[in-house]
Amino acid sequence: MKRFPASVLQPLLGVVGIILLLVLWQWGSTQVSTERALPSVVAVGTALIINLQNPAVWLAIGQTLGIALAGWAAAAVIGVVLGIAVGTSRAFSAATRGLLDFLRPIPAIVILPLVLLVLGPTTEMGLFLVVFGVVLPIAAQTAAGVEAADPVARSTARSFGMGTLEILWRVVLPGASPYIGTAMRVAAPVTLVMVVVAGMLGGAPGLGSLLSLAQMTGRYVDLFSYVVILGILGLIVQAASTRAERAVLHWHTSYRQEGI
Amino acid sequence: MSVRGFTNSRPLLLTLEIGVPVTLLAWWWFASASSTNPFFPSLQKIVTEFGKLWLFDHFLSDIVPSMSNFVIGFAIACVAGVLLGTLLGLVPPLNWLLGPIIQFIRAVPAVALLPIFIAMLGFGNEVRLFIIALAALFPVLISTIDGIRGTDALLVDMSKVYRFSRIERLWFVYLRSASPQIFSGMLVSLQVAFIVMITSEMLGAARGIGAMTLMAQKSFDILGMWAGIVLLGILGYLVNLLFSMFRRRALAWHLGAQRAQASN
Amino acid sequence: MTDVRLDVRGLAKTYGSGPGAVPIIGDLTFDVKVGEIVSIVGPSGIGKTTLLKCLAGLQPMTSGSATIDGRPIVGPPREMALVFQEYTRSLMPWLTVEKNVFMPLRHLRLPKAEAASRVATALQAVGLTDAVKKFPWQLSGGMQQRVAIARALAYRPEVLVMDEPFASVDAQTRFELEDLCLQIRDEFAMTIVLVTHDIDEAVYLSDRVVVLGEKPARVTRILPVEFEGTRDQIVTRALPEFGMLRSEILTLIRKTA
Repeated sequence: MKRFPASVLQPLLGVVGIILLLVLWQWGSTQVSTERALPSVVAVGTALIINLQNPAVWLAIGQTLGIALAGWAAAAVIGVVLGIAVGTSRAFSAATRGLLDFLRPIPAIVILPLVLLVLGPTTEMGLFLVVFGVVLPIAAQTAAGVEAADPVARSTARSFGMGTLEILWRVVLPGASPYIGTAMRVAAPVTLVMVVVAGMLGGAPGLGSLLSLAQMTGRYVDLFSYVVILGILGLIVQAASTRAERAVLHWHTSYRQEGI
Repeated sequence: MSVRGFTNSRPLLLTLEIGVPVTLLAWWWFASASSTNPFFPSLQKIVTEFGKLWLFDHFLSDIVPSMSNFVIGFAIACVAGVLLGTLLGLVPPLNWLLGPIIQFIRAVPAVALLPIFIAMLGFGNEVRLFIIALAALFPVLISTIDGIRGTDALLVDMSKVYRFSRIERLWFVYLRSASPQIFSGMLVSLQVAFIVMITSEMLGAARGIGAMTLMAQKSFDILGMWAGIVLLGILGYLVNLLFSMFRRRALAWHLGAQRAQASN
Repeated sequence: MTDVRLDVRGLAKTYGSGPGAVPIIGDLTFDVKVGEIVSIVGPSGIGKTTLLKCLAGLQPMTSGSATIDGRPIVGPPREMALVFQEYTRSLMPWLTVEKNVFMPLRHLRLPKAEAASRVATALQAVGLTDAVKKFPWQLSGGMQQRVAIARALAYRPEVLVMDEPFASVDAQTRFELEDLCLQIRDEFAMTIVLVTHDIDEAVYLSDRVVVLGEKPARVTRILPVEFEGTRDQIVTRALPEFGMLRSEILTLIRKTA
């Protein structure tokens, strides 16, 4: 083992791990009494290939990703604006502290019944849930970033005659961008979860409702294949958001400060 | 006093901090008092319904099962996460072996895993508990691995020089050093467990706060739905508050050390 | 004739193997007698820390031998304690000063009273009796290093090895800590091996100075240091012999750098 460098051993062992899991899975599928409970690797693999050739599935994937992305962007705008307000104005921060501190630990799922009631099983419902799920952490981190802005930089800008808005745009926001970047990256996978939840529980369009349908009609092979697709989507979303963060903030990585 | 001076004064800030939430609540109360909107009944009616439902009527039959699933699931996740995380943190090859599997399962929204495990294991409460524990496992597992791997090599060398036993090194050096990260992971796990508890009930359960709330919505029992939402909100807030207080006490040394480092 | 406590013969250390191997230490031979203070000096990057790691049993040596009281060093010896250069990182930030000093005594399973008295004596020797309940991050750098020294003292080693212990400390505190070293050797009859880049410090403290040079490291010369009377920061440093020794060592180091 010592002979192999870590750069070779690490991916090798990773692949071995996946193979072991698949073998275990295949063995498990032969042990279960009803065939449908744990379909074999082969069956799921076949279903996966078939489903990936189905335009309806791709539509669902597009809807899922679309709602997640739109919600993420909307939450970013709302969250950053809110965060700036809280971070710059002590009065505003004091006024909203009670409300925000109370709402922040409450998961968005809690209001799903209400949103479903008012908006029905629609795209808007999904969008609303996504925004609700990630807007407050983004706002909180933005506020922290704004508050952490270097007062020396601010005074310098003011002494150059920059107006408040200009200082905000050129000094405060760039300074807060690592915080905002981290919050957005952390929020990305959450948006995916919220869309799927909205689909499974509320009937919003996307993979969530496909999954729900597959479960209700007992098509377990399809169910498993959808879960695999979701896993792959999740990994893609994570990788994409990490890369995006690094690309936008490469100049600031050394400033990264993650709170406890 | 200038405008900025006024808006930054302490008495004003205090008034705002307490006054605004109170005012908002009062406004909600009075604005909704004569509400005829089917979706947004009066706050007073919601509060009455809340008392009727939760305070002791449905306490045993619904609050207890939900919260016990949540607490037990969270506890299992923490213990398993720390144990497994320590093992994987200390034995990198094992971490490399299991890494991709962990990353993949973690990438799937927990609620999507529920139908799979129901298919495999049936409809019992245990399946729900299993999913809560499984979903909550990952944050604490990953932060434990990170924390253990981040232990200062110098501290490990020191413990070797002074001939700590392996167990002593594990407990007094590795775990203590990783505790800030472990606690952070536990906080996230707490929130995940809470969310998955609710979603798993909403997905299909006979009892539980989440189940009752969604069922109320489906049968147009708006007041019941609101009562459930309010309860879940309060519970979510309290659970977070309690854990954060506990975490702050356990990590008092860390906050002090960080502050000292920042001022250097 | 004084007994030899540490005996190093032909110690060599190479990192890696095959074509990419990096020899750090070529051949080190020296000994340390009971109750001596021996300083090891040399140019930066010569491998002084590597040597200490081998001596402390934290790393295996590639060839050669090191024995303590005649027994070969294969792992951290019971009779040895190490004081690190990075004192902040070597203390446990989640423990008070007292508990930090007590930590190594845990597995010795001493009776409570004895352990407590060892901790108290050690802290008194370094002058930190008032800081027992404080946390390391509440103390200055010099005080933190003193905690590390107290921890070593409470452990009652026979050999105290110090790796550039006063490098990151201000000059005034450094003089105090140097005198503390002399005190420890006298009071606790300890053998001290000190790695330092500060030649003045080496000359002031030591009974012998081991000068390292060349790449991979070898012993260039071992110089005995003898001054009349007890060492004193002002008096000893003003002696002409002090200056001569210092120049001699500096010349040796410069030649082989």
